[in-house]
Amino acid sequence: MFLRRAGIEQERMQQNKMADGTEEHILVIEAGRTHSRYLRDLWLYRELFLILAWRDIIVRYKQTVIGITWSILRPLLGMIAFTIVFSKIANLPSDNVPYPLTVYAAMLIWQFFSNTVSIGSESLLNNSNLISKVYFPRLIIPSTSMTVSLTDFLISALVFIPLFFYYRFLPDWRIVFLPFFVFLTILVSLGMTYMISALNVKFRDFRFAIPFALQLGIYVSPVGFISSVVPGKWRLLFSLNPLAGIIDGVRWSLFGTPLYLPSLVMSIVISVLLLAGGYFIFRAMEREFADVI
Amino acid sequence: MSKPVISVEHLSKYYEISHQKRGVDTFVESATAFGKGLIERIRHPFSPNRAHVDLEEFHALDDVSFEIEPGDRVGIIGRNGAGKSTLLKLLSRITEPTKGRIVMRGRVACLLEVGTGFHPELSGRENIYLNGAILGMKRSEVKAKFDEIVEFSGVEKFLDTPVKRYSSGMYVRLAFAVAAHLEPEILLIDEVLAVGDSEFQKKCIAKMNDISRSEGRTILFISHNTSAIQSLCKTGILLKAGKLAAAGKINDVLDLYQKN
Repeated sequence: MFLRRAGIEQERMQQNKMADGTEEHILVIEAGRTHSRYLRDLWLYRELFLILAWRDIIVRYKQTVIGITWSILRPLLGMIAFTIVFSKIANLPSDNVPYPLTVYAAMLIWQFFSNTVSIGSESLLNNSNLISKVYFPRLIIPSTSMTVSLTDFLISALVFIPLFFYYRFLPDWRIVFLPFFVFLTILVSLGMTYMISALNVKFRDFRFAIPFALQLGIYVSPVGFISSVVPGKWRLLFSLNPLAGIIDGVRWSLFGTPLYLPSLVMSIVISVLLLAGGYFIFRAMEREFADVI
Repeated sequence: MSKPVISVEHLSKYYEISHQKRGVDTFVESATAFGKGLIERIRHPFSPNRAHVDLEEFHALDDVSFEIEPGDRVGIIGRNGAGKSTLLKLLSRITEPTKGRIVMRGRVACLLEVGTGFHPELSGRENIYLNGAILGMKRSEVKAKFDEIVEFSGVEKFLDTPVKRYSSGMYVRLAFAVAAHLEPEILLIDEVLAVGDSEFQKKCIAKMNDISRSEGRTILFISHNTSAIQSLCKTGILLKAGKLAAAGKINDVLDLYQKN
């Protein structure tokens, strides 16, 4: 019964070809909407996504003195602090890779994730005027926060060039796998962002919980240290954090450090699950947005 | 006779109003309520759901049906809280109906409040593109009409100034200019003319008349300004407490509205 109804719905949405060849747009509004129609809408509104992404990127560093330099400065200062604490004071090993390099690679991935989540979780609230006034698939809004952090990420990644020169370090063929790990980071970030931004509309508790969770998160991810310093019996538990496997992967592709396979597999599985879970939670709550925001 | 551009059938929108006990939802509260409901469900799988008993339904819009022909300019009137804005929100897909359905033939664009989607930090030029995209225009469409939009708004000089430094009049003019150059078959307008000086208001009404006459576009217009409605609309729909009270010639409907 349900399937049949969904089928009818789809049929209605087809644009009827008129006799003279022009297309007639027919829109049927009813309670409840099918997924295929939602995905179609997402595609139809791709231009809005691009322009909102462009808006957020442009606006991010407006009225700052050093502007885009901030996106380089923040991970760089983080790297210096973490190198001092974890390498100079705590004396942790680094698989024979210059310590600042290991930290910087992880710092970029971490900041990409944490920026996406922290901007994204507030994004629906910040755009409440749009949500209560205009229709578009709401998924676009938290997605644009990913493009903003991705821009930051790409710019700050350029710092690797002078760093590699300075430490006379050259990545080998494994670097071709780097985009794959960045892609995984995108999945994790989007999944978390969809989930939290949707919940944040109704439960503003997340507004307080998220900054705190992100502050702790950097210490349970292998940012200031390498994963092999984690004792063997804790390793699997440690790998439940999908970023652990991703960061290990990035270090493997850049520096050729050993890769712990179970952790990577878990990261891949958890990333995909997070994205799917985030999407479904978002969709379930989206219907109420305009009424509760 | 052509098919109606908009047909609304038994459209209803209910909101749940919670009373005292279930006040503000916190995450913990609703998580525990959800847990309790779940246990209840497992223990008595067939009894009606008890968790929602103390919620009252508010019928913002109740079983409304009407049809609108192509090229009609329809004024929607009613007191505060009669359901005008809810109707427009449903037509523009901002919220989903609880019951009933709407069939629309043609591209829909709405102008719910001027400056929606303007970003204060961006310049007038950038905001024209942004606002156009939000209202559903393609980049190429905005580009083609850019000069017209700028001329209509009269803010040429300040095109590269962030709109946060605009006066409220300039802001409104620019916003209306973008929206007026949309080319949807159906245009929904809510209270836009409440701002701006009388000269600009006249210009807006003239522009809207122009649009719907020359290009056969359908306009739905919500306003408390009866003179604006009278000069723009041919037909009217009167809503009263969420129900359709009257529909017909604009003057008859306005008479009925003013009598009550």
